[in-house]
Amino acid sequence: MSAVIRAENLSKWYGNVLGLSEVSLEIENGITGLLGPNGAGKSTFMKLVTGQMKPNIGTVTIRGRRTWNAPSLYERIGFCPEPDVFYEDVTGWEFLTGLLRFHGFGPAERAERAARALDIVGLADDKDRLIRGYSRGMRQRVKFAQAIAHDPEILILDEPLSGLDPLSKRKLIRLIREFRTEGRTVLVSSHVLPEIEALTSRIVLIHQGKILAQGDIPFVRELIEAHPHVISIGSSDPRRLAAGFVADAAVQKMTFGPDARTLVVETHNRDAFFDHLLAVALESGVAIDEVTSPDDNLQAVFDYLVGK
Amino acid sequence: MKEPSAILAFRTSVREVLSFFIVLGRKSGKARAFAALGFFPVILAVVVRVVYHGRAEDIMGVFNEILMVFFLQFYIVILSLFFGTSIVAEEIEGRTLPYLITRPLTKPGIIAGKYGAYSLLMVLMVTVTLALSYFVMNGTRLGQASLYLTFLRYAGVLGLGLLAYTAFFAFLGAVLKKAILVGLVFGFGWENVIQYFPGSTQRFSLVHYLKSLLPYRPQSGGAGALSILLFRLEPTTPIVAVLTLAAVTAVFLALACWVFRVKQYLFEE
Repeated sequence: MSAVIRAENLSKWYGNVLGLSEVSLEIENGITGLLGPNGAGKSTFMKLVTGQMKPNIGTVTIRGRRTWNAPSLYERIGFCPEPDVFYEDVTGWEFLTGLLRFHGFGPAERAERAARALDIVGLADDKDRLIRGYSRGMRQRVKFAQAIAHDPEILILDEPLSGLDPLSKRKLIRLIREFRTEGRTVLVSSHVLPEIEALTSRIVLIHQGKILAQGDIPFVRELIEAHPHVISIGSSDPRRLAAGFVADAAVQKMTFGPDARTLVVETHNRDAFFDHLLAVALESGVAIDEVTSPDDNLQAVFDYLVGK
Repeated sequence: MKEPSAILAFRTSVREVLSFFIVLGRKSGKARAFAALGFFPVILAVVVRVVYHGRAEDIMGVFNEILMVFFLQFYIVILSLFFGTSIVAEEIEGRTLPYLITRPLTKPGIIAGKYGAYSLLMVLMVTVTLALSYFVMNGTRLGQASLYLTFLRYAGVLGLGLLAYTAFFAFLGAVLKKAILVGLVFGFGWENVIQYFPGSTQRFSLVHYLKSLLPYRPQSGGAGALSILLFRLEPTTPIVAVLTLAAVTAVFLALACWVFRVKQYLFEE
């Protein structure tokens, strides 16, 4: 299958700050997740793909055409920017019909497309309210609606799920998945693995402006599983709790926190550990106050992958 | 895919951006604030009409002072400063630029379209304010044809001023981050000072050409303390004044379009 989006030796600097370094990547039809911690270069990559910026070195093309200053190419692209920003003094309806103007649609088609997009995202009843009065979830949905309203072939979504409550998140994930029909390409970024996991199995790991790895979710999961997880358990009797894990093969290391109420466990197999934790807690009768995972984030995994 | 010609793409972009930003512009707080400011000369006109009741010549003299001081040297400058610099700046500061530049619009078309939309709004605001204050003050002479011709001349001069200033400020906004500060210095510093210099120096201000198009010439010892500053005007011929203002408008608008096309407006990640 030929690549829809192709980046070759792509580099971008912001003054002396490196945004993206020698990125070579091919993105095909379907949904591709761009995964990386904040500041990894995801937005920079998306801005280069959507022609908002020009690369310092290398090229980025969509279907063989360079993206910088190529307005006719943008008819094919729907872009959902990451910041929560809008023209606040217009209604959702005015926002969509206004942006649809830019694609050359006549009044009837603008109205039809805007109505359809607002209906898809569940904002049909709120279309005449000012965007400034929308909730965060509604704002994310209207932002998604403006990206799909002109029926683009390629959808670029920069952190579309950030800041959403679980219900809104689930709705938007469903919408993005529905958008993936034959021949369409979706590139979606996030710094949260489960969000990407819910959307696609094909991901690209990006960190400090470089592509660390790309492949399917099980491959990344394996990388993550190889990284020891640190889990902190607050309880009334951490020593008694620790005794229950002595023979647990999933536990690599145990230490006690300075407050004498915390047990800190390192494990390679988080799922097995949590299964055992329940059993140990029940058997020992120790009350567990809280369970936290200080490094349960991508930054820790990325640090591990780059050998920090 | 068939590529539209560059001129057609530009024209389409201008038309669509203009339509969108007319709606957006008239809803903005900025437009409302400046429209409210426009009531100041109207209120003044009512007061003058009452105070100078029956003294048509005195009323006209006061109106000319309002025209020079409020409209020419304040209202059109402040309007074009805020609207002109905001053509690019509001998209950068509001981070809404991606909604425009990821659409099938040419970048020069975006600038020219916003310039057109904001110019139309400003011309409308100024014309309404000018008409209200002018006809309120000259309410007893509404039957005279010359009254309407003079009004059209005033409105035309202010319109030319708006177009020229807005193009210049649009260019500043496309080039500089803090364009409004530089614009303030230009609009209320340079323009106010340089126009009083004798000889050809005053030709480096836009207001010089606007004043050259007005029939009103302040007389030494005439109305108002400010007239002492105005008598040094050495006017340019009307045709040169109009051509100069048109050239300033075209050059700075073209420069703004060009800068916007080649420059990358980076947001902090």
